[in-house]
Amino acid sequence: MSDLLLVQGLRLSYGEREVVHGVDLRVPAGPYGLGIIGESGSGKTTIARALLKLHPAGSGSVTFDGADVLALKGSALSAYRRDVQLVFQDGDGALDPRMSVLSSVSEPLAIHDTVPKAQRRERVAALLDEVGLPIDIMTRYPHQLSGGQRQRVVIARALALEPRLLVLDEPTSALDVTVQERVLQLVEGLRERRQLAYVLISHNLAVVDRLCESSVVLYEGAVMESGPTRDLLDSPVHPYTRALRSAVPEIGVHRPALTRITAGASVPSTGCPYSERCPLVLDICRAQTPALRDVGGRQVACHRADDVANLLA
Amino acid sequence: MSRQTPDLLPAADLAGEPRRRLSRIWPGWGSAKRVPLLIIGSVLGALVVLAGLLAPWITPYPQDAGAVVHPAQTLLAPSAAHWFGTDMVGRDIFTRVIFGARVSLGIVVLVLVVSAVVGLTVGLAAGFFGGWLDSVLMRVTDVFLAFPALLLSVALAAVLSPSALHAAMAIAFTWWPWYARLARGQAASIRRQGYSDAARVLGASRTRQLVRHVLPNAATPVFVQMSLDAAGIILTAATLSYLGLGAQDPTPEWGLMVAQGQPLATTAWWVITFPGFAILLTAVAFNFVGDGLQTVFDPKRGLR
Repeated sequence: MSDLLLVQGLRLSYGEREVVHGVDLRVPAGPYGLGIIGESGSGKTTIARALLKLHPAGSGSVTFDGADVLALKGSALSAYRRDVQLVFQDGDGALDPRMSVLSSVSEPLAIHDTVPKAQRRERVAALLDEVGLPIDIMTRYPHQLSGGQRQRVVIARALALEPRLLVLDEPTSALDVTVQERVLQLVEGLRERRQLAYVLISHNLAVVDRLCESSVVLYEGAVMESGPTRDLLDSPVHPYTRALRSAVPEIGVHRPALTRITAGASVPSTGCPYSERCPLVLDICRAQTPALRDVGGRQVACHRADDVANLLA
Repeated sequence: MSRQTPDLLPAADLAGEPRRRLSRIWPGWGSAKRVPLLIIGSVLGALVVLAGLLAPWITPYPQDAGAVVHPAQTLLAPSAAHWFGTDMVGRDIFTRVIFGARVSLGIVVLVLVVSAVVGLTVGLAAGFFGGWLDSVLMRVTDVFLAFPALLLSVALAAVLSPSALHAAMAIAFTWWPWYARLARGQAASIRRQGYSDAARVLGASRTRQLVRHVLPNAATPVFVQMSLDAAGIILTAATLSYLGLGAQDPTPEWGLMVAQGQPLATTAWWVITFPGFAILLTAVAFNFVGDGLQTVFDPKRGLR
């Protein structure tokens, strides 16, 4: 199966400081969802920005539909912009406060001139309808909308160019639970209707579980574990994934903490980035960075993966 | 919360009655109503503008605005025939004060337009493109800002031949750097906003980003600053004229009229009083408008 998006060994830096240390991602043609899971500071958003060419890549390769994304320029870049769109974390800041919903949603149509001027209004109406917004919202300005409405407007704008890949950066984290649910249903619907492929970035395991076939768990800019989402969440192998899994609060269930999650633990300069926080840490973890390897149908970067897998089996 | 309108509005509401439509053209209208200073200032300012525009038709002796001499009626005290009295060559001061609005407003408009265009161009380019262009443009701006503005204007006006136009140019020369700094800060912060990234992701060209997103969002504070500055420009222009570096007789410029009336302040109080009052009134009107606009657009008050 040919991949729509293939990322290999992607390294990203802010100035001298490298924040993403060689990440691999694979997204087949849609409908398909890839989840990127990680806490804040793990480099998720930077990866999203790099995929959209908002952040320069240090090294590695990004291939979209066979084309080298990092080298795109001019009209090829413009074509890429039509195919790949971003839904921002914060729907509020992503909309120009001085633009009406109509202007915002029709802007991509105007930039790429995909829809004749006379039909743009109609097209915007159809897009708003698709994301479940009333048509008369067109004349409003962002400050007159609720958070959920703004996020839908952002999604409508991203869909205007009929992208083949959508990057959703924490699309629900700024929303109320009930509004979150409606946005998730919207993404589910779009996925089937539009045969959409997407990369969903989230710290919320339930969201990823629901929308993504496969997932990547990121810690401090490195992949800890990746594979089918169900396997990852049902039987996590990496101690970090296990910690994340056990940290999900469930109503009526008092799950004993499998491990301590020590926020703000320092990141060691050598060895496994998780070794400072890991309950299963050995000397080798501090000395040597574990490589990703196959363990029970998924990829895990942990020296003790086999021990954990045996324990589970 | 009247702003948090529910998801489904009745369709009939789309047409909207006139007041709603005004809010649509300018979303700030709803809050402008709640700032009385802005209303008072706008009314006063509109009166001054109207007076200037209609000067030839509302003044009793329009020819007195120019180089005429009436030796028989010099320095007459205010009366029914001459509401504000006459000056040392017998011209009607009411006529000249009304015509003076044209000169002062002309200078204000000229200075504001020139400095806003130059300042916005320099500031937006610096803030939007950043890097070495930013450094070069802002160092140049700093050089201009290093001199006391009034002193620089005075020096420049003194080099040029004295006239209202040259005074305006001298003022604009020292005025634009403030707008450049303001616009640069705005553009730099807009560049970090989500909607700037969104525009790039959507494939907007740099020109489009600048014109459609950066300029409209950066311009508001500059416009507010411009309305605050109008009063200052009137005073500066009056200062230059008063020093003999601006408009020359027979131009009916308020600052010049005050200067001419000063030696007579004790014997013919009206010569200096009425033009002085015109300066005061206009400056206060523009200050009210500027303060009012600032209140309306201040995001901290949540009125925008």
